[in-house]
Amino acid sequence: MKVENSQFYKEVTSKLGGETLTKCYQCGTCASSCPVARITTRYNPRLVIKNALLGNRAEVITEDAIWLCSSCYNCQERCPKGVEIAEVMYALRNIAVKEGHVPLAFIEMASNLINEGRLVPVTSFSLRKRETFGLPPLKEAGVTALNKILTSTSFTKTVEKAKEAAK
Amino acid sequence: MDKPRVGVFLSNCDGQINKTLNFKELIKYANGLAGIVYVKQNKEFSSAAGLNLIKEAIKTNDLNRVVVSADELITSMVKISQAVQDVGLNPYLLEVLYLKEHCALPHKKEPANATKKAKAMILAAVEKVKLQEPIKTLEFPVRKSTLIIGGGLAGMQAAIDLTDMGFQVTLVERLPVLGGMSSYAGKFFPTDDCAPCVESPSCGLNGITNTSRKCIYRSGFSEIPNLNILTNSDIVAVEGVPGDYKVTVEKRLIRLHSPSAYPPPFISLRQQTHAMKQIFEYKGKKERITLDVGTIIVATGFELYDPSNIKEYNYGVYPDIIDQLALARMLNGFGPTKGSLIKPSDGSQVNKVIMIQCVGSRDERYNTYCSSICCMIALKHAKLIKEKFPEIEVNICYIDIRSGGKGHEDYYEEARELGVKFVKGRPSEVFLDPETEKLIVDVEDALLGKFLELDADLVVLSSAFVPSTGTEKLAEVLGLDLSEDGFFKEYNAKLRPTETKQRGIYISGANTYPKDTPTTSLHASSAALKAAKFMRTGVITKDQKTALIDSDLCGDCEFCPVICPYEAISLKQLDDEHLVAEVNELLCEGCGTCVGTCPVNAIELRHLSEKQILAQINSLVSDGGKDLKVLAFCCSECGGTVLDSAGMAGLQYPSNVRAIKVPCTGMLKISHYLEAFNAGADAVMVIGCKEDGCHYEAGSEKAKIKVDFTKRLLGLYGIAPERIEMFFNVYIEGLDFVNEAKAMTEIVEKLGPLQREIL
Repeated sequence: MKVENSQFYKEVTSKLGGETLTKCYQCGTCASSCPVARITTRYNPRLVIKNALLGNRAEVITEDAIWLCSSCYNCQERCPKGVEIAEVMYALRNIAVKEGHVPLAFIEMASNLINEGRLVPVTSFSLRKRETFGLPPLKEAGVTALNKILTSTSFTKTVEKAKEAAK
Repeated sequence: MDKPRVGVFLSNCDGQINKTLNFKELIKYANGLAGIVYVKQNKEFSSAAGLNLIKEAIKTNDLNRVVVSADELITSMVKISQAVQDVGLNPYLLEVLYLKEHCALPHKKEPANATKKAKAMILAAVEKVKLQEPIKTLEFPVRKSTLIIGGGLAGMQAAIDLTDMGFQVTLVERLPVLGGMSSYAGKFFPTDDCAPCVESPSCGLNGITNTSRKCIYRSGFSEIPNLNILTNSDIVAVEGVPGDYKVTVEKRLIRLHSPSAYPPPFISLRQQTHAMKQIFEYKGKKERITLDVGTIIVATGFELYDPSNIKEYNYGVYPDIIDQLALARMLNGFGPTKGSLIKPSDGSQVNKVIMIQCVGSRDERYNTYCSSICCMIALKHAKLIKEKFPEIEVNICYIDIRSGGKGHEDYYEEARELGVKFVKGRPSEVFLDPETEKLIVDVEDALLGKFLELDADLVVLSSAFVPSTGTEKLAEVLGLDLSEDGFFKEYNAKLRPTETKQRGIYISGANTYPKDTPTTSLHASSAALKAAKFMRTGVITKDQKTALIDSDLCGDCEFCPVICPYEAISLKQLDDEHLVAEVNELLCEGCGTCVGTCPVNAIELRHLSEKQILAQINSLVSDGGKDLKVLAFCCSECGGTVLDSAGMAGLQYPSNVRAIKVPCTGMLKISHYLEAFNAGADAVMVIGCKEDGCHYEAGSEKAKIKVDFTKRLLGLYGIAPERIEMFFNVYIEGLDFVNEAKAMTEIVEKLGPLQREIL
């Protein structure tokens, strides 16, 4: 296997959240602490970091591993070298998003946020359930105000681009 | 001061520099200088014949100052210095310069300018030496006795070496027994024989044969006639100066063991901690003992880091999770389990052991360093277990196995041969499976990329080694520095690992960094040797190259006592109640950091006065002409050596760069830089040692601050701040110096003469 981009680590460490990447000495405490890695071989934080350090940029950015982190922060609490693993995953995701590599599920969640102000849409089923339990109706999500923020921070544009790329 | 009668001796280095420097012109120039009574050019001044020329000239012409341009850097100077002393001249009334390396070779391509620079260099040397007073040689008494703090293997080794050499030694140990770590660890690598074992003292004790090594009790150590052992004792206070320390020791009046007690007193870290607590909280009677010693060796060792801080490993929660020292005790036939491996929780047989490496070491949260000996301890214990109980399964979870050291890799190989299993991964957690009631070690084997849930009867944590409790307090009492990791800081980590910034106080063993036994014994003997070197003659002979305080100017500011890296300055109250600084001639190293700090210019160096600095500045840059001048202030240690190395290599840099040497850039004041500009310099370079490699602790750092401040001042005056720059160089960076010199020259060429900016 040829290392594709040996300078990739610099790209990651220059990003917010990616600064601690090079501290990793591959002890595997993160992997062993990771609830996701226990149930799927598609995600192993140690391997994501190893690949990022080696410079296998395309593999890291295009595959779905970085999107499988559940942000439980177990790894980060236990890492003996102070690698902010969950933050590194965010930094890598940010690089991936810029290049249009976003799994469909995330595009869908982002679209939900733009359209309905919620990551997970509220179904009529759950609204009916609430009624039967005598619970009050849910508060308005404030879509207009939220969209102002999302537009001015280029979130909306980024999501549209990702949608285009996914087609 | 007597009227200067200066002789100038110029070597043309056997014709090597004739073509570049016009010696006829130089001789004529030297002859015309004030105070010169004799000028001589010769092909060399290093051989007996050359040196004789100098000696004869001094006698015949009644010279009281000598300037020599020598043939070879430093080596010539040593010979010439001896020669002038032979004819009764104080060696400080000699000034040696090196026209070859500092002028002719680096300016080979511009002979006319090189000759011009050589004149300035000769003038500077003459003016400097004319202002120099003779410097006395001082003598200070040194007691031929040593205090050793810590009775572990390091302390005992140092004690044996020093007593064998005839010095009086007092060994102070705070525990009731000697032996340190060895008194509760059974076997030590790389020989796998008993841990509590020392070199045989060779002082001829009745009935004790002098073989290669001995058990502590068999060695007769406690009976060495010139050794005084104080167990159960603490150091309370240390006063005095190198060679003459007054030490106060407090001895707890309890007697539990003979000093070299064996079997060992402690079973586990917990028991040791408990014993230490008893010692620290002792409320009983104490005896105060005062000792007068010439030197002190600190051999306070290390202890295990308490792994209960690392919550996910549950040490202290489950009794079957232990540390390597407790395992060592178990494997010892004299230990609590008489050598058998049983679960502390219920006393049942152990079938499976898992060791975890790097517990609390290589960890940003606890100790960042590699504890260096834990891999070998784990391998040794794994081997001992497999040899004695082949049916017990042993797994070692590691990040990296570090088995550097003579014979150490063999342990790794033998462990594999014996069936020890290695898992490359740092466990994330150790917990008790509620169903099986077995300990589970959660780990990813990174090589397989597989998650393992290893069950174990006994989990052994290879906990980090940290400095002994009380290290910080002792460092304060002794005036020693600690490194960031909390261990004692060496005077120089590369070359002087057993010395400290306090002459007369040495460090030995694992209190500078975790060490195995072979390294500890080397280290201890080194400390003993350094102490012996210091005490051997009974006197310290030292030239009075020290700081001189003008008590009329000095008063009440208290800067210099704080800034002195050697704590050589104290404050003395005069009759009129004002405080003046007082220099301890023994402690002062003559760096001049105090000179550079004194706000009222009340301090000077005897070997480089203010007048001498100014005279050199003037001589070097005020020789007129249109060419732009760069004056380089260089320290006499690493920083200044780049001029030597660039010259020796014949690297070319502009001849308008002229250099003045000072002991340390830390002695330079902002006024010196302004004087340089005032005298005709168009730019100033300051070249010091690397900031963390200053030979006088923090001189370079302080110089940098003053250079930066000067930049601001220049800016306020409307002068380009780029005209002054600080550089940090070492000998091998001669090429870097050349580039720096060229860059500075380019800057002034672009800016033009300083005069233009002022007018």
